[in-house]
Amino acid sequence: MKTLAAREISVRFGQIQALDSIDLKLETGGITMMVGPNGAGKTTLIAVLLGLIRPACGVFEVDGESASLDRDWKRRIGYLPEAVAFAENLTGRQLLLFFARARGTQIQRVDSVLERVGLSAAGRRSIRGYSRGMRQRLGLGVAILSNPELLILDEPTSGLDQEGLSLLWSILEEWQAQGRMVLTSTHDLALMERHVSDIYILRAGRILAQGTAQELREAANLPHRIRLATHGDAGRKVELLCDAMRKWGRGRIERSDDQILAEVPSDAILEMVKIQSQFPGVVVGIRVEEPTLDLIYDKLLGAA
Amino acid sequence: MGRVGRALIWHEFLERARDRWVVVVSILFALLASAVGLYGNNSQTEVARLTGPSLVTLATMLVPLVALVLSHDAIAGERERNTLGLLLSLPVGRYEVIFAKFIGRSLALVLAIGLGLFAATALADRENAMALTVLIGPTLLLGLAFLSIGLLISACAPRQATAASVVVVVWFCLVFFYDLGILGLLVLTDGGLSPSLVNGLVLGNPAGLYRVQMMESFAGPDFLQEMGIFAGLPGQKTLASLWGAWLLIPLFLSGLLLSRRKVI
Repeated sequence: MKTLAAREISVRFGQIQALDSIDLKLETGGITMMVGPNGAGKTTLIAVLLGLIRPACGVFEVDGESASLDRDWKRRIGYLPEAVAFAENLTGRQLLLFFARARGTQIQRVDSVLERVGLSAAGRRSIRGYSRGMRQRLGLGVAILSNPELLILDEPTSGLDQEGLSLLWSILEEWQAQGRMVLTSTHDLALMERHVSDIYILRAGRILAQGTAQELREAANLPHRIRLATHGDAGRKVELLCDAMRKWGRGRIERSDDQILAEVPSDAILEMVKIQSQFPGVVVGIRVEEPTLDLIYDKLLGAA
Repeated sequence: MGRVGRALIWHEFLERARDRWVVVVSILFALLASAVGLYGNNSQTEVARLTGPSLVTLATMLVPLVALVLSHDAIAGERERNTLGLLLSLPVGRYEVIFAKFIGRSLALVLAIGLGLFAATALADRENAMALTVLIGPTLLLGLAFLSIGLLISACAPRQATAASVVVVVWFCLVFFYDLGILGLLVLTDGGLSPSLVNGLVLGNPAGLYRVQMMESFAGPDFLQEMGIFAGLPGQKTLASLWGAWLLIPLFLSGLLLSRRKVI
């Protein structure tokens, strides 16, 4: 499978339009992230792709050809539900054995997956004794067990410690390197930002914005933050630099003890650097911060 | 049944057989059944008139409880743990899921009840043990009927705690209060209810059906009439249909609910 396209997908629950003409495209080696407030339609869209909800209208295409989300389709998907809590009476290994049998996966893979998700030692222990992070890692193990072509992860970072997050990133990299697809839904934009190739922002069942992080940055048109660390003894010169920046008038300038914080449009960063160079010995360090995905998300949602 | 269904049967059996409540209630049933069996051995009364009916009373109370405990979380628990969507994302139909869950949990039920009945039979003397074997089939049917009812409750309930509360109420209603209700009706109407209506009401409850079937089995068809209870067993076909209805209708409704309701 190289591409999966969902076109004009609409779902209605009674009076509520859960999804309204959604277009989604997943490509080989791509990691697509869906973000949006609660009730935006992320989980409904996942349910549609899992074949759990039949949309009122819309079409699916796999590699450009019309497809139905039937049992054959389900064999190609791995899924991690949000805040999953498996039956506590079983051991982690018994749970994976069930999914291996159900998916027709080789039983030997169970042990290698347990090792992959760092649960080899805990595999024969009851899930009752697992921490939240261990349960989430077990969920990841269930999702990747059959080496699915499409991995659907609902809030995958939930409950994971740093070690668990490293595991998640390595799985995402592995899927990307193997030319498979990942679709993830999350509220942890900052954590996921570096690892995704495409972002969909949903609100009230519609797509508000879509693109790479860079494309969304441009669409949001938020200022960059420039932090200028000033020399402790510069005194009056720092004030003069601030005045010069304010007169320049292309951003918001704030001064604190040993720092000047400037918020400027992306096309004004170079000018700003030039201005500070006219005051030698004042600035000892410059850090340019791109607007975070959280800010972009807030801006786009606010604008809508 | 497909690969997922077969895997689910074993998964359900294993999961339920390791549940501490199921183990506790099963051991309780086994202990009480053994005590009844031993008591019957020492009694000078005709064995079938004492040990069997005592075990019927015990089974009528405990077997539905074991079955309901076994089944109440089948769907509601999966829903609450966020694993229902995961389960249904496997290549499997929703009726197949219900059926596989029913079979898997039935195996756990057979193990739980079988343990008690086996203990009672093993401890009883030979003549008594032969009489007790009559209990096995109908007792299993009683358990399976309540397992099916429990599955339906689980499919209806939004949460596991709700399902647990409802099964307790259903257990009280069908096992304890149902017969009292019929008696109350008879008192209120001063015995004005027709015997066929009373018969229908008694047999309309799987616990009542089981009691009547076992009483007739142990004491003969005239026994209930001697006691002033006119409910009698219908023919074998009707009896089989009644048990079949109690097994299949709740299962079918559970499948229907699972098909219609939002999963995630």
